[in-house]
Amino acid sequence: MIFRILLYAGLALLLPGLAALGYSLWEGPAVWSLDTHTFWGTPVSLFVFWIGIAHAGTLISAILLALGVPLDRRTSMLAELTTLCALLVAAIYPLMHLGVVENFYMVIPFLDARGSFANVRSPLVWDFCCIAIYAVLSLVFFAIHLFADRSQALEDVRRPMAWLLFPLVLWVHTIVSLDFAVTFVPEWRGAFFPLYFIAGAIYSGLAMVNVLLVAEGCRVRLLEKLMMVGSFVMLVFWAWNFALKGDWNFSVFAFGALLPQLWWVSAVRESPIGRLAISISVLFGLWLERFFLVMPAEPRGFGYVDAGLVAFSIGLFTTLLVILRVKLRKPIEGGELLFGELEEASAPVVEPHTEPLTSREFIVLRFPLLLGVLVALVYTLWAVSQPVFDTVAVAIPNVAPLFYPIVALVAAIALCIRPVWQAVSAHNADGCGSRYLKIAFAICVLMFAFFAGVFYAGGSSAPSKFTSYAQVPGEADSGAFDTLRTRAVWNARCSGCHGTDGKFNAKFVREFYPVPQKLTAARLDSLGEDSLVHVIMYGRTNMNPYGDRITEAEARALVRYMRSLAPEDIPAPEINDSTHEINNSTPETNDSAEVLQ
Amino acid sequence: MDRREFLKILSATVAGFALFGCRDGLLGDMPVKGARLKLADFENEVKFALSKMKPGMELVRVPMPAALKTPGASQENRFGMAIDLDACDACGKCVLACIQENNIPLSAPERANRGQFMHWIEMCGGAPAMCFHCGDAPCEKVCPTGAANHTPDGVSAMMYKRCTGSRFCGANCPVHARKFNFDDPVASGRSLKFNAGVPVREKGVMEKCSLCLQRLQDARHDFKALHPGESFRGRGVTTACAAACPKNAIIFGNWLDEGSPLVRAAKDRVLYAPKAVASLDPSIVYMRGHR
Repeated sequence: MIFRILLYAGLALLLPGLAALGYSLWEGPAVWSLDTHTFWGTPVSLFVFWIGIAHAGTLISAILLALGVPLDRRTSMLAELTTLCALLVAAIYPLMHLGVVENFYMVIPFLDARGSFANVRSPLVWDFCCIAIYAVLSLVFFAIHLFADRSQALEDVRRPMAWLLFPLVLWVHTIVSLDFAVTFVPEWRGAFFPLYFIAGAIYSGLAMVNVLLVAEGCRVRLLEKLMMVGSFVMLVFWAWNFALKGDWNFSVFAFGALLPQLWWVSAVRESPIGRLAISISVLFGLWLERFFLVMPAEPRGFGYVDAGLVAFSIGLFTTLLVILRVKLRKPIEGGELLFGELEEASAPVVEPHTEPLTSREFIVLRFPLLLGVLVALVYTLWAVSQPVFDTVAVAIPNVAPLFYPIVALVAAIALCIRPVWQAVSAHNADGCGSRYLKIAFAICVLMFAFFAGVFYAGGSSAPSKFTSYAQVPGEADSGAFDTLRTRAVWNARCSGCHGTDGKFNAKFVREFYPVPQKLTAARLDSLGEDSLVHVIMYGRTNMNPYGDRITEAEARALVRYMRSLAPEDIPAPEINDSTHEINNSTPETNDSAEVLQ
Repeated sequence: MDRREFLKILSATVAGFALFGCRDGLLGDMPVKGARLKLADFENEVKFALSKMKPGMELVRVPMPAALKTPGASQENRFGMAIDLDACDACGKCVLACIQENNIPLSAPERANRGQFMHWIEMCGGAPAMCFHCGDAPCEKVCPTGAANHTPDGVSAMMYKRCTGSRFCGANCPVHARKFNFDDPVASGRSLKFNAGVPVREKGVMEKCSLCLQRLQDARHDFKALHPGESFRGRGVTTACAAACPKNAIIFGNWLDEGSPLVRAAKDRVLYAPKAVASLDPSIVYMRGHR
C-alpha cells in the first residue's frame, strides 16, 4: 500500500520532471543558468546531493559491515538499493549539465583511435572515472548481497568487498569535493572540503534511509543516533566555513541542524510522521546547502525548469526505488521480519599465515589486491606519460586520484570471479538462478566490450552538420586569382593539415584523422576539378567543409594550385583489380587536398 | 478505471509532456532567416555595454612577462599585449573591432539587460579587459578534454570542436573572461559573419579572446612560405583591437623580441595586472606612468 502511494507520488513528480529535462536538453544550459560569473546551476547541486546520498547508502551497509557493526539484511539491502538508484539519478545531471552532451566521452582518460587523451589534470576527469567505477562496484556489491543467501562463497566475499568499498566511498566523495576545492572561486576554497563533503553526504544519506525506513514501517535506532551526531558534525563544519569566509545561511542551519534537534523529543521520535518530518527537513536543508554552494554569487535563478529538475530527480529516485523494492521483495525480505540490531555472526575463520603464495588467504584476498595495485601502478605510469598536449607537464599527483578506484575495480573483479563461478556451477543443476547469473555476466561483458569499442573509436569524425550558415558578406567572386593570392589562402586554410608544400603535416593529421591514401597528379586529374571543388566547399568524411569561409572561385583556384603542387613524375601506383575496386568505392577518403603525400 | 484506460491516459500524459517540452522547436520561434542584422545593431550593443560598464579591477605591479616555463614552450615568442591606461579613454572602438574580427554574436536582450554580453573585450572601470592569457592558466588546468590549451608561443587557445561545455574553465577563471554560448548564435539570428576567416562558435561551447590567433597563423604561414628556414617572430602582426584603437593605447607584440613594438613601448613604463591574475603570469598587462 505504502509502496503504491509512493509509486504514484514518484510518477506524479517524474512526468513533469521529464518535461523539464527534455526542455533543458533541447534548449541547453540557458534555461537554468546563469550568467557570466555563475556557470554551474541546479544540475550540479543536484548531482552533489544525490551522489552524497548514494555514498551514504554504501557507507551504511559496507562500512558498518566492514567494521563489524551488525545491521540486519533488510536495512542494509535498502541502503544498497538507495545507493544504486541515487547513483543513476546523480549520473544524469553532470551529463545534462554539459553544453555539448554528445562530447562527454572525451572526458574518459583512455587512448582513442586518434591518439587524443583527456586532460588528467582536471578534477572532472577524476570525477568521471571514480564515479563510473563506484557505480560498477556498488552494483556488484548489491548483486552479491542479493545472492549471498544461496551461496556461502558469495557471503564470504562480502566483507572483503566492503573493505574495498569503504575507502572508495571516502575517496570518491573527496574527488567530488575537489571539483570545487581546486578552483579559484573564493567561496569554494578550503582544505577541509573533502571532510565537509563526506560528512554532508553521510548525513543526508542517513536522513534518506530514515525516510525509507518510515515507509517500510519500522525504525533502526542506530541510524537515528548517527543522524543526531551528524547534525552536530555538520554544525561544526558550517561554523568553520563561517569563520573562514563569512558564509552563513540561516535556512540551511534551520533545516539541517536546528530541526533535527527534535530527535531529543520523545513524542516526535516515536511518531512516524515526526521521524519523516525531521528526515525530510534534513534532506531539504542539505540540498539548499549544495544549491547555495554551487551558486555562490547572486543572482541565483530558480525558475520552473529548476523546480522541474528537482522534481525529476525525486520522482525518478522514488519510482526506481519502489519498482526495484517491489520486484526484489522476496530476496530482500527473506524470512526475516525483524529489524534492528542482530547478533553478530561468527566471523569467517582466517587461516594463520602459512605459505606466502599458496595459502588460501593469499589466493582469495591478497592476490586480487596485489593485482589491483599492479594494474593501477601500470595505468598511472602510463597516464603520466600521456599529456593532453606537448606543452603540458602531467605529474604523478595529477593521476594519483585515479589510483585507488582502479585498485578497487581490479581487485573486486578478481575477488568475485571465483565465488561467482562457484555459485554458477553450484546452481547449474536447478538452472534457474544460474541462468540469471549467466545472463548478467554476459550482459556485463557485452556492455564492457561495447563501451570500450565506442570510446576507442571516439565520436564521428564527420564534419559538423552546422556549417555554411552565415553568409560571407561582400567579396563578389572576381573569378581570377593569381598564384600568390591562392598560395596565401592555401597557406592559411589548408596547410595546417596538408602542409605548405602539399605534403602532409603527418604528425598533426595522424593525431586527428586516419591517414588517407596518396594521391598523384594522375589521380587528381581523374577525380576532376568540379568534384574537388565540391569537396572543399561541402566537405567529405574527414575533410571539413570550407563553404562558410571561402568562395567557390577561391576553391577552384585552390584546386588548380593543388594540381601544381602535385608531383608529375610519380606514376600512379600499380594496383591490381581488387584494390582498384576498393579505391574506386571510397574515393572520398582522400578528398580534395588530403591528397598529395 | 481499468488497465487499458489507465495505460491510455498514462501514454497520453507522457506524450503531452514531451510535446510541451519541445514546444519551442515545434511551435515557437523558428530561426528567422530574413531579418538581417546590420553593423549598427552591433554598434548599439557596444554603446549599451559601455553604459553598463563593470567596476574596475584592483591592479598590482607586475614584472615584464618572460618566456614560458612549460615544456615545449617557445623561447623566441611569447605574444601578448600592453594596454596604455594613460592613453585609453574607453571609447569602445576596440570592442567593436573585436566583434567584427571574431564574429561575436549579439547577446539575447534579457541577458544584455543584465549586463551579460558575449564581447571578448569588456570595459572594466574605463579600462579594456579581456582574457589575460596567463602563462599558468587556471582555466586550462581544469578543462577535462584539453579544449582549452596553451600554444607554445603563449596564447591561451580554444579548440571549439573538443569542448564539451562543462564550463569548468569559466568557473575557474578569476577575471570571468570566458563567455559561454548559451544560445545558438546562428539559429537565434543574432550573429553576423563579418570575417570569413573565423568560424561562428556553436551552441554549448566556451569562447574567449584568442589574441587574434587567426592573424598570427596566417602571418606565420605566409612567413614560412616566403622565408623558409627562418623563425617567425610575429613581426608586422597586430590584433584587431590594437589596430582599431585611435589613441594607440593597445599594443600587440612579442614579449621576447627586443625589436617588437610591444617591448619598445613597455620598456620604460610601469606594468600592472589585475590582482586576481597577477600571480598567474599574465601575457596582457596594463601600462601606466613612466619609470
